[in-house]
Order: sequence, then C-alpha cells, then structure tokens
Amino acid sequence: MMQQKSFIRTLVLLTVLGLALSMAPKADSLPTGINGFSEKGCTCHGAVPDPGVTPSIEGLPANFNASTTYTLTISFTGGPSGTSAAPENLGGFNLAVDSGTLANIGEDVQIWGSNEAGHTELGNDQTSWNVDWTSPASGSATFTLATNSVNGDGGASPDDKWNMMSMTVQGPSAGAAAEELQSADPFVVLITLIIVSGILLASVILYTFYRVSPDGFNWDSFSPWIVEWLTSTDHKKVGTLYFIAGFFFLGVGGVMALLIRIQLAVPGNDFLTQDQYNSFFTMHGTTMIFLAAMPLINGFANWLIPLQIGAHDLALPRINAMSFWLQPFAALLIFTGVFSGQAADVGWTGYAPYIVSETAHTGTTLWAAGQIMLVASSTLTGINFLATICGMRAPGMGWMQMPLFTWSIFIANLMLFLSIPAWGVGLIQVYLDRTIGTAFYHVASGGDPLLWSHLFWYFGHPEVYVVILPAFGVISEVLATSARRSVFGYRSMVYAMAGIGIVAFIVYGHHMFTSGMSPTLRFVTMLTTMLVAVPTGIKIFNWLKTMHRGSLVYRTHTLWALGFLVTFTLGGISGMFFPSLAMDTHLHETYFVVAHFHYVFVGGTVFGVFCGIYYWFPKMSGRMMDEKLGLLHFLTGFISFNGIFWPMHKLGVLGMARRHHTWFITTDDFANIPAEMASWNLFITVSAFLFFFSNFIMVANMIKTVVAGEKAPADPWGGWSFEWMCSSPPPTPSFDPHNPPVLRDANEHIASEPTRFGQWFESLMMPEDDEKEVSH
Amino acid sequence: MAHYTIFGKDPYWMNFWGLMILTAIEVAAVGVELGDTITMSILVGIAIPKFIMIAAIFMHLYGDADSKILTMTALFPAFFIIVMVFFIGLTSPGAATELPAWCRPSYWT
Amino acid sequence: MSGDYGHDDHGHHASPWGPHDWSHGAPHNSFAPLIMSAGFALFLYGFANVFVGGEVADLGALSGVMLGLIIVTIGLLVWWRQDMTFDGVYEPKATGAPFRNIDIRKVSMWIFLMSEMMVFTSLFSTYIRYRLGIPNCNDVFLSGEWIEGTSVVCFEPAAHLIASSWFHLAPGAVNTFALIISSFTVVLALKTAKMSDKKYSDKYEVEMENVQAHRSRKVAVFLGATLFLATLFLTLKMIEWFVGFPTPGPLTNLNHGHSEIASLYTEGYRINADTYQHYAYDTSYHDGKDIPPDSALYSMMQAGTHPGGVMMADIRVGASTFFVTTGTHGVHVLAGMIGLAYMTLKGLRGGWGPSNAVTIEYFGLYWHFVDLVWVLVFPFFYLF
Repeated sequence: MMQQKSFIRTLVLLTVLGLALSMAPKADSLPTGINGFSEKGCTCHGAVPDPGVTPSIEGLPANFNASTTYTLTISFTGGPSGTSAAPENLGGFNLAVDSGTLANIGEDVQIWGSNEAGHTELGNDQTSWNVDWTSPASGSATFTLATNSVNGDGGASPDDKWNMMSMTVQGPSAGAAAEELQSADPFVVLITLIIVSGILLASVILYTFYRVSPDGFNWDSFSPWIVEWLTSTDHKKVGTLYFIAGFFFLGVGGVMALLIRIQLAVPGNDFLTQDQYNSFFTMHGTTMIFLAAMPLINGFANWLIPLQIGAHDLALPRINAMSFWLQPFAALLIFTGVFSGQAADVGWTGYAPYIVSETAHTGTTLWAAGQIMLVASSTLTGINFLATICGMRAPGMGWMQMPLFTWSIFIANLMLFLSIPAWGVGLIQVYLDRTIGTAFYHVASGGDPLLWSHLFWYFGHPEVYVVILPAFGVISEVLATSARRSVFGYRSMVYAMAGIGIVAFIVYGHHMFTSGMSPTLRFVTMLTTMLVAVPTGIKIFNWLKTMHRGSLVYRTHTLWALGFLVTFTLGGISGMFFPSLAMDTHLHETYFVVAHFHYVFVGGTVFGVFCGIYYWFPKMSGRMMDEKLGLLHFLTGFISFNGIFWPMHKLGVLGMARRHHTWFITTDDFANIPAEMASWNLFITVSAFLFFFSNFIMVANMIKTVVAGEKAPADPWGGWSFEWMCSSPPPTPSFDPHNPPVLRDANEHIASEPTRFGQWFESLMMPEDDEKEVSH
Repeated sequence: MAHYTIFGKDPYWMNFWGLMILTAIEVAAVGVELGDTITMSILVGIAIPKFIMIAAIFMHLYGDADSKILTMTALFPAFFIIVMVFFIGLTSPGAATELPAWCRPSYWT
Repeated sequence: MSGDYGHDDHGHHASPWGPHDWSHGAPHNSFAPLIMSAGFALFLYGFANVFVGGEVADLGALSGVMLGLIIVTIGLLVWWRQDMTFDGVYEPKATGAPFRNIDIRKVSMWIFLMSEMMVFTSLFSTYIRYRLGIPNCNDVFLSGEWIEGTSVVCFEPAAHLIASSWFHLAPGAVNTFALIISSFTVVLALKTAKMSDKKYSDKYEVEMENVQAHRSRKVAVFLGATLFLATLFLTLKMIEWFVGFPTPGPLTNLNHGHSEIASLYTEGYRINADTYQHYAYDTSYHDGKDIPPDSALYSMMQAGTHPGGVMMADIRVGASTFFVTTGTHGVHVLAGMIGLAYMTLKGLRGGWGPSNAVTIEYFGLYWHFVDLVWVLVFPFFYLF
C-alpha cells in the first residue's frame, strides 16, 4: 500500500516537472523591455498599458517566405481616440522587429536603424499606418508593437491610453527543416495501424505459445506447434483460426470506420480526399462483411456444428481447411490496393460501369480477384456444412430435433452457396473486363450495367440474410438457455428461417428501385420485400414469448441477446421503410440507409457474435469469462453503438447523402442541411471512438480468460444440446466416430403416424436397413 | 450401377448410341434451311431428351436405390434457376409505361 | 464424455506432406490447402499485372502467373499424395434423412453440382439478357439503319459464323461426339472397376492372383481414353478459336474456294472487335443476291436512300459472352483432365478395385455434368 502511494506521488511529481519543462521555453519568450518604447518616437501618453486598447498588425502571413516584402498595416482600436471632435492627434505607434528590414511607404512613418518604426508628426492624426517589411532569408521574426490611443486634446493627458502586443512569425529556416507540417496520408495511417495490429497479433500468438508451454519456448517446440495450426483439419482448430482472422479484420475495418468518422466529424473536412474516401468506404464494407462477419460466423459454425449434431468432425475436413486458407490470401489480394495507395474505390457493391472503367483505381482488379477467391471459399464451406448437417447427425436426431443454431447455419449455407455463383460469375466477368478486355460492362459496346446489379444483388440480398441468420440461431440458443426453458415455437422458428431463406431470392430488386430496372420487377419485389417482415416478426415474438414466464438469468450473453432484440427490431422497423417504392425513392442514398443496415449488421450480426462469444467461450477455452468486464463491455458497447447509429436516421431524413466525402451546412433549397447536423455528426464520431475502444474490453477479457480464467465446467449455463455434453474444451475428435452419441427424445414413446408428405418422402430415401446394401 | 437393361442390352451402351444419333440429327438440322423457329424447336426438342438421358442413365438418377432422393436433390435448385432466368435473363430496363395497364394509375397515358 | 479416443489420434502423427493412413479415419493434417491458396492468389495477382484493360501491360509478370500455377500444382500433388493410399476402407455414410445410407462423398458431389448448376445458370442468364436485349447484327444489317464507316453496336452470335459452313462447325461437332464418347468411357471404367474378382477372372480369363493388377490397368486404359478425348476436345477448341485448319484439296471447292478454314480469331470474332466486318454484312457480296427482297435494306437500296457498302459492327459483348461461357466450360474440362490424370496414374499403379471404385463414379458425376452443360452450350452457342 505504502509502495503504491509513493509510486503515485512520484508520478505526480514527474508530471508536474514535465509540464514545467514543456512550459519553460514559452516563459523565456515573454516580451520584455517595455521601457524602451518611451525613448523614441512615441512619448507614450499614459502610465500603464491599458487593456482597452487593442493594437494589431495585418498583412503578415502565418509563415513568411524568404526575402519577400510584405506591406503591414498597423492599427489599433479602443481607447479615447476619436472622442474629440477634431480629427487630429489621434494616436501613435512604435514597431520593433528583431530580424528583417522595415521601410516606410509614406511620410507618416519614420524608420530608425531599419528595425524600428514609428509615426511622424504627419502620422499623428491617424489610427492606422502602413509600413513595408522585407523578411529575412530564414528563421523567425518577432514583432513588438506599442500603440497609443490619444484623446486629441494636443497634449499628454491622463485620459490617453496605450497598449502593446507581440507576435512571432515563422519563416523558412536554413535548409528545409522548418517546412510546414504535412498532414498524414490516411492510407499511411491505415497501413501503419494494420501493421501494428499484425505485430500485436503475432505477439499475442507468441505469448499464447509461451503460456501453453513456458519451458518449451524455443524453435524446436515452436515449429511443430505452428505447423499443427497451419495444417490442421480439425474443425475446432480451423474454427479458432477463423475467429482470429475475423477479429483481426473486425479491428481493421473498425479503424477504417474511425478514419471515415474523423473525416465526417466536421463540415467541409479534408482529412480524406474524395478519392481516399471512396477507397475507405469500399474497403470498410468489403472488410466488414467478407473478412470479418463471415469468418466470425464460420468460426462459430466450425466449432459448434459437429458438436451440436454429435459428429466427430465435418464431412470434408481438408476441404474445410481449404476454405479457411483461401481467406487470408484473398484478404492479401483485396488489400494490395491499400498498400499501393490505389485501393478499390467502387463501393462494396462495385457498381458497373464504373468498376470496369479506367478511372476506377487499379486496386479494383485485385479486389475482384480476392473476392473470386472468397467465392470459392464460400462455395466449399457451403458444400461442407450442407453435407455435414444432412449426413452426419447423431442417431435419433431428426431434422426437427436439431438445435436452432444448426438450423440457422444450414439455411444460411444453403442460401449462400446457391446464390454466390451468380456473384462469382459477375466478378469473373469484371476481372476479365479489367484484364483481358472483354466487354460485359462496357456501355459503349452495348454492355448492360444493370446486369452487374442483378448478378450482385441476386447474391447480395441472400448474403445479408446469410450474415444475420446465424445470429438468430445464437440468440435462440442463448435466450432459451437463459430463460431456462425450451425455445417457444421451435417449429415456427424453423419454418420462419426457411421462409426467410426462400423469400431472400425474390426480394433483391428492392436494392435497385432507383436504377431504372424493369418496372414490373420493381413492383413484384416491392410486394415480396414486405413479406420478409412476417417470418422475422414471428421470430421476434417467439423470442419474447420464450422469455415470458421464463426465469431469466442475467449473464453477459443474456444482456447481449436482449440488446440484440432491441437493436435488431429497430433495424427491422427502419427496414420496413424501404420496400415502399415511393418512400425508397426519397430515402435512397441517405444516411437513413446507413443507419438501417448498421442496425441490422452491427446490432444484429455483431451483437449476435458477441453474445455467442460470451456464451460459448467457456466451452471453447475451458475457462469462464469475467462477468464484470462483460457487463462493462455491454454497457459501453450498447450505449455507444446507439450513439453512433440512432442520430443517423435523423441525418438521413434531413437529407445527408451517404457515400459523399464531406457535407456542408447550407440553407440551399434543395440541400437544406441545418446547423444542428454539425453537432450530431461530431457526436456520432465521438460515439464511434467509444464503440471501437469498448470492444477492446472484450479482447482483454478473452486474453485474461485464456491466461488466468477460472476452470469451466462442461455445462456452465445449463444448455441442453450436445456440445454441453462434451468436456470443456472438447476432445479431438469431438465424439468417438465409432460410437456416436444418441439423442433420445422425451416424446419418443408417442409414436405418431407419419404424415402423407412424410410417407412420400420416406419412399424416396434409401432403405433404412444397412444390410440391404444397394447396388454395387 | 445399373440393374436394368434397355431392350435387353446394356443401358450404358444403348444410351451412348442414342446420344450419338440425337447429336447427329441436331447437327444435321442446322445444316438444312428450316427457318429460325423450326430450327430452334428442333434444337430444344433434342437437347431435352439428351439432357435427361445423360442425367438418368450416366449419372444414375434412374434405377438405383438412391436415385429418387438424388433426383430430388438435383431438382432442388430448379426454383432458384427459374428465378434467376426470369429476373436476370428475361427483364430489361424499361420505363414506367411498360407496366401492365392494371397497375398504372388511370390518368397515366 | 471427455478424454481421448486413443485408437484414433495417439501414436499416429501423419506427416502433413505424406500419405495418410486412411484406416485411422478422416485425413489429419495437410499443407495442401495452404499451398494451393497461395498459388491461386499468386496466379490471380500475376494475371492482373500481365493484362490491364485489354492490353499486355507487363509481360514480366507472366513469371508470377507461371509460379502461381506451379505452386497450385505442388499443392495438388501434396493433396493427391495423401489420397493415393485411399483404398475405400474409410467411407462414411450419411446417417439420417434425407441421404440415409448414401456415401457422404456422393452427397457432397451432388451438392457441389447444385452450385455448378447456378454457375452455368448465371452465364446463361447473361447470354439470354444480351441476346434478347441487344439487336442482332443480321437484323440491324437488314434494317438498313447503318452507314458504311461507322460502327454500330449489335449482338453477333458466334453461331452465325460457325453454323454458316460445315467446315466451321466441324470442330464443335466433333467435340460434341468426343464428350459423349468420353462420358461412355468413364462409365466403362467404373463398370470394370466394380467387377468382382471372380467375375473379372471368368470374363477375361485372368488368374485370380493377377486380377487386381489386370483390372486396375484396364480401368486405367478407359480413364486414359477419357483423358485423350478431353485433350482432343480442348485442342479442337483452340483450333477453332485461334488456329484454324487447312481444308483438304478436294474439299476446297465446297469451301468457296478457300484453302483454309479461318479460326474465329482470324475471322475477326474477338472480344475487342469494335469494328467487325464480315462478308455477310457486305451489300456487294454475291452482287447483293443475299439480301432478301422483303427487307428494309433492299427497299432502301432500290429507292436509292441507302448507299449500301460494308456494315461495321461493335460485337464485343457477343464475342465476350461466347468466349467466356464456352471458356468456362473449357476450364471445367481442364479441371476434369487434371483429375483424370491422377486417376489414370493411380490405375497404372494398381490402385482401383471394387472397394474404391465409387471414386470413379463420383468423378464420373462431375464429368457427366460437364457433358450435360455442353448439351446446352452446343445448340445455343454453336448452332443457333
């Protein structure tokens, strides 16, 4: 205790000392020698300087150029000057400069020795004078000016007041040392941050290795350890790799968001140029969706699907490793542009024809190339999970006994891998257009830009459901466990998700309402889009009903689930403005859209991911997380998140356009942006910083847990699905492949007659009996 | 593997010759001047049976114990294919005047 | 439920480079995914540096392309080295509805084919949209809405060139037959591999102890034949696209007296053809006898309101659609050839028998699918 106190004391002392030292040079440069002024020129009227008189020098640049002549205007305001009727004997001045040369222009000013000037008899009747100053070749110049405000009665009187000022201007020093400070290139900032994060990540990896085996901290132990991670096909290890990649890019995307918010904090900002801004929002969107959200979801899916369905691993383990490793290399390609300062600037939607034009940044080609690799990765993931969920469920686990998280991953992957080929083909067309010069999107040759929009959104809309459905799954698991009961309306939950999956493919036109797409298609997709609210609403009400009369246990994951309910519902409600064609035309391309999709992406997916982290981290690491830090993370994160995106609704409705690199306060009839917008934008930026840094609480929590957490039991929360029956962390392989677990249904004695559909479907399948081996 | 025969012969063998003959007809049909519509109908009319023959016999979607369920699997994307062909292949940008009359306001001409 | 299942993992540390011990179950560690991903990325990176906006920007980057392909190949070899030992011991079956008792690998292959269907649907949707959305060159020509020396945008289907003469059609037609035959040879390979020792020994009068080697070699012959046909397919495709071929002497008369069949490239049917000219769009060709009298062009020329001449067309979109769609199919054939090369090698080393013959069946599914796509590509891109 004593030690701590003296430590604090030392710290305070050092701080004071540091402050004093930093102020010392300034103290030295305070003006001195007031007396000198009374000797020449101005016999100052008045005794002490009076603050009522304000002398000023105009015409001096902030930084002077070498050996240039500047015309300075010396004037003052205040004092008794001008109170007399006669416009004579109004005032006087004395100007001294420590370097450079002064020269008089008119008869009203006289010069002493080239570095001091004063008024002449003639200049007595003025309150402002002009004088030429020729700057020195380098260094700085300090001007000291005294002005006298005289009441005009022809003599010194106690009424006369005077005051002085001093100012220093910098010039070019010898060489180029005193050049104006260049503002940092935001790309350099980003790259630096990426590299620093990379180094931090590597340090964390090394540290983890060290903690795992403190004695074996040498290359001989390190190389098999790292080779194991690089080559592993174990679903848990690949899942962990997905998490690491996902969190890394979540941070990178977050840094980009912060740089964007710095740019937008004040009107007319030029922190980012228009070009850079385009690149930044493109890379932010791409990174967040494809390199952060998808890997995080895949991390959960990899970890949990085999555990939840009682399989020993995924169906195709090596393919699984392949779909992970495609991602970091794809990320490298996507970020190539950033490192060359020519990052893709086409938006994450990459609208044609700009995407194939020569004016688009060169990084766009490799952006497309990287996305092609991500498409390959997603396709392989889709095949893998569909095969696993269809074919490797434990005996007794029918479709309607599957945990909802497994269901959500099943439907998400089904959607993803059926829709992503469309985008893959579009990307290949773009890649070929930009490289070998095919003409799919060259308008001059008849290429149709809308084709790209169609191919993109045919994938893009299912994609947003792909990202949100797993969050639904997580929330369903968490709420049911936290409410200590089974989820309300299991079947309706499944049908709702399946409904979302089907409808996802026929609504995408609502992204293209203002694009000039076929009006019939606009009309059709308007109706179908409104339909989406039905299954989603069913799910929300089922979650509410699950909690109703349940007995909620408030752990961190419960809080995030509740937070998800609030934010996702708000995002859903704002989403209901867009299906309406007329409303959409008004809100299109405004911050209302930005607010909406961040409410569902961040408030939905990312909150779902956080929720899942707190819920399953004990299972994955075998250690309990710190609930206090978790609560702190939830409170700061939830509040600052809403602080960022709630005001954006208002900004959007007022007409602030998205994808614009800056904005101005204006009373223009057509772009009326009121002054209060400035405050809101600044507020959003501050909230963005808070949200960004609040998430480090979770990272700290995770590191703390892994290093020194309390050991977790197999089932810390009272969950019922298979993963809670494994030890924490689970063994490898997760279940014995020769002796899989069996699911026993409490209702299995109520043997119900299969429905007619069930009978028909049964007739399609292979016979149940293994002995009656088919064919071959 | 096939457990059936076509006209008493190995199904793969029969299928192979069937495909060869159909293709020959296809190529020949293009060589003869028949007009666009007729050529197109012949081409589509031959492509469909060829498609079915390859899928059913070479890809074992007929005659095996797992054929039925795998046929359902193969047909599963049909909905999504139809949606794509209709939405992407068969629409074109157009003005509001292209809307069907029943969903245009009455004052619209 | 905790602890390890001793028999599976302990004491078994397979090299991530070397063959797997499949009797231990699913593959454990592998460098292949990492290597192949790196090679793939390098390939795309190099390619984007070689070509920029339709022009060769930096031929030096071709080394990157090559290096990328080599790295992919190394990854592939690692992958296959691990598979070479696969003898059908480890073949998990699906447990529940709907794929009960079907091999997981077969299920995966069918699911993969679902996504392949979507790939080709996307390409066909592109084709349909452009074919219907952009006026056909022939229609534009006959409408008379063009003037010599100014390029008009129109859609020129490759079929207009290809189906115009038997000689042009020859490579495509031969390819169609080649693919059908290759589908058949794959099935024969499967049938042979599945034949039980007893049956095989009876049919081919081979000693029982030699059956495995003999049968596997026979499978390799069928697979090799498939590989040959696939190579033929791609070769003919290259001839049709870029090389062309000479017409034998006696047939020259049938070919309007030309001694050579021009490739699509030399005919000017290229992705950068924005000033495409062809005799079919020349009013003086055959002294204008080819212009149908009921066309607008004919009436305009009769009335003297159209000077006639050669129509110049910007056909880049049509050409891009043709080359990319058939090219994508060609890439699928190439991927199949890579698989076939591995399988043939495995056959020559005596690797195929009834226990693992299903691998041939599952490859066959992919191969038949490629054939199936050609059944659609051929009429729509070559004939119509």
